Amino acid sequence: MDKNELLKHIEALASQHAITKDEVTAAFDAGVGGDADIEPTPRAGISHILYYVGGAIVFLGISVLIWQHWSTLNSPAKIIGTLGSGVAAYVAAVCLSREERLELVSRAFYFIAALVMPLGLHVTFHIAGLDTGSAGLQSMISGILLITFLLSYLVNRKTMFTLFNIIFGTWLFFSFTSFLVGGHPIYDWKFSAYRVLAVGVAYALLGYSFTETPHRALTGTLYGFGVFCFLGAALALGDWKPHQNVFWELIFPGLVFGVMFLSVYLKSKAFLTFGSLYLMGYILKITSEYFAQSLGWPLALVLTGFGLIAIGYVHFNLKRKYLP
Amino acid sequence: MNPKKNVSLIVGIAIPFLMIILVAISIYVPALFAPAPRINFLYMTGDDYGQGHEYIVENSSLVKREVKYPEHYTPSVARFFLHDTPANDDKELSFEEAQKLKLKTSVKSSDGWEVVYGNTDYGAFPLFFGGTTDYNAMYLKGHNASKKLNLQSPNDERYYYRARRFLGWIE
Repeated sequence: MDKNELLKHIEALASQHAITKDEVTAAFDAGVGGDADIEPTPRAGISHILYYVGGAIVFLGISVLIWQHWSTLNSPAKIIGTLGSGVAAYVAAVCLSREERLELVSRAFYFIAALVMPLGLHVTFHIAGLDTGSAGLQSMISGILLITFLLSYLVNRKTMFTLFNIIFGTWLFFSFTSFLVGGHPIYDWKFSAYRVLAVGVAYALLGYSFTETPHRALTGTLYGFGVFCFLGAALALGDWKPHQNVFWELIFPGLVFGVMFLSVYLKSKAFLTFGSLYLMGYILKITSEYFAQSLGWPLALVLTGFGLIAIGYVHFNLKRKYLP
Repeated sequence: MNPKKNVSLIVGIAIPFLMIILVAISIYVPALFAPAPRINFLYMTGDDYGQGHEYIVENSSLVKREVKYPEHYTPSVARFFLHDTPANDDKELSFEEAQKLKLKTSVKSSDGWEVVYGNTDYGAFPLFFGGTTDYNAMYLKGHNASKKLNLQSPNDERYYYRARRFLGWIE
């Protein structure tokens, strides 16, 4: 339904006294204030997906084009083909977004820009003779992209820019901390686990802060990735016998139950699902780590099976009761 | 925005920054307070044919033993270096000079440092940091700190496992 149809429909309803002026203004205010709980219609959902699939295919086409003709294209052509395309897509998106009816198309172009610009920066720095695999240059590339989309967000507060800022910010965080550490041997895999843990907490907090803002579409995704990273890192930090970390192994069940409790408070299915899955993983880990030898493998498997059934039951009931 | 949610936004954004600051502190602060390494050590380049080393340390001395190389295989030239740890500098020695040194092959020196390889800088895929070893870089590690060593490159510029080999502390 377009705008004119909607206005005529309101006129028709008003003539029949089926709608009041207050109801119309209340609906308008809710939309402007970002409070309306709008679910995209199936048609809008499919068109959204098609825009982004199209954007991804354009990115793929540019990548394959450059890859296939890498030896024959000269340096300016490679840079124009990648970075130039990325910048062009960004400019096109800005122009399209000025027209309200082309708003969705502009998002597809922003998506293309966000995919192609990193490729373009890699190609440009590679041609300049720099090591694009180094943490220093990765920090620079992610930093450039973050600044670009952070400024874009300040000009136009689109949810899409928030998503890109989170992605490029995460990339910058990982590459810059790698750059700081360099090759220092005192940092082992646990350093990465702590970084993932920190990112998980940050994602969950950002997801929570977005619940009453126009960016609330990101909340579910941020909760999902956040809790997956947080519990995954916490489980990994427990390590394995004989190198186990008692602190992380003991605290893990508390963290999982905390996450499952929060799933009710936050009404998050991601918290409940990942909490249950990680609790199952933890039971399997602890059983095989400590009880497989002492109780015997078959008995350990029986206990594990009962544990998993119990978790499945709790998960099902919590979901049915609190997260319909 | 709800003040509670405002706080969660601020904390969510602050966590990565805090971690960057903590990482920087954990690198630079222990290095400031760690005692300066003072024990010199001997290392060599070349002699990298599998595990069949021609030069080994026996009874605290460097010795040369017979290794049968395959036909048409030319072993890389072995070079010996005394690393002046306080100055982080090298002095090349002949085999005869190196043979006169009394070497202690313990992993750690008496002042609590050990010679280790560095970690690979993952760059684009830093998630799995700490997974592989960088044989190009060597460090002194100890007292919760590490210091990069300025060592000679292997003479044929091949960088792989044990192309540069620690032989022992000179105590």
